Amino acid sequence: MNESANTDKGHRATVLVVDDSKTILVAVGQILQQENYKVLTASNGEEGVEKAEAEHPDLILMDIEMPIMNGYQAVQTIRASEQLQETPIIMITTRNALEDVEKGYMSGCNDYVFKPVNTHEFLEKVRSWLETAE
Amino acid sequence: MTSQPAKNIQDPGRKEYLHGGQIVATKEPTQITSILGSCIAVCLWDPRLGIGGMNHYLLPFGHRHEDLKSARYGNVAIPMLIEQLVDLGANVKRLQAKVFGGASSINPGKPGVHHVGARNAEAAQELLLERRIPIVSHDTGGANGRKVIFHTNTGEAWVRLIQANKPEK
Repeated sequence: MNESANTDKGHRATVLVVDDSKTILVAVGQILQQENYKVLTASNGEEGVEKAEAEHPDLILMDIEMPIMNGYQAVQTIRASEQLQETPIIMITTRNALEDVEKGYMSGCNDYVFKPVNTHEFLEKVRSWLETAE
Repeated sequence: MTSQPAKNIQDPGRKEYLHGGQIVATKEPTQITSILGSCIAVCLWDPRLGIGGMNHYLLPFGHRHEDLKSARYGNVAIPMLIEQLVDLGANVKRLQAKVFGGASSINPGKPGVHHVGARNAEAAQELLLERRIPIVSHDTGGANGRKVIFHTNTGEAWVRLIQANKPEK
């Protein structure tokens, strides 16, 4: 078992992946499960907010372009919840224009991973942000 | 840390936006902008000749054969930037550095010592020290993203923490 998949409180870390692409949910989910993380998924921003509020994941990975509620709105809504203000959120997106990235940080995310995902970089960021999570 | 209001920065004309894994080195006065989370931007310039540049790396050290060509790693991006500046005529002994980025903790009571952002910042210190390039200004760590603007000819830098918009309750 990968010890790094555990939080400092000893439980297996839970990662919520929010993306409207089933392909991405499956691919990212597999990478995380291979590292022994518990994976939750949501297919739009609104569902992502609901799962974040209900499950209190240790880390959230958020796409931007999604139906019903986009990633910026979802992150801002999640940050409005007192219990989720210190949950690390990483945007996972193809949108790398300056104004888009700035908008992501202004909505309240902590870091970015750009698609196509480089597994090594992606897992470094996941492990790192989980290290400092509550 | 060099932090100045944007209005005090003179526009040098040419503008570049730097993504992760990219490098700009130039003789032409250029304003380089980048946005950083856990990544690091190292800004270097030769004050006598006004030659300068910036890199933006994602991870501190790459060891695999294919990593050693990629400016996504600090141990590649820093020597590569120096080499490009020297090729343009800069003197390595005159280079000065400013280092920004490396967000590494969401929780003020829990600094992320093993966090990739902290390791990225350490790598910049280590690699610049090895080459005897002084870091004259830095702003690293914390939970926030940063927007960095660097002027290659003067070495002026402006860095702003990107604060999240206050959510509506």
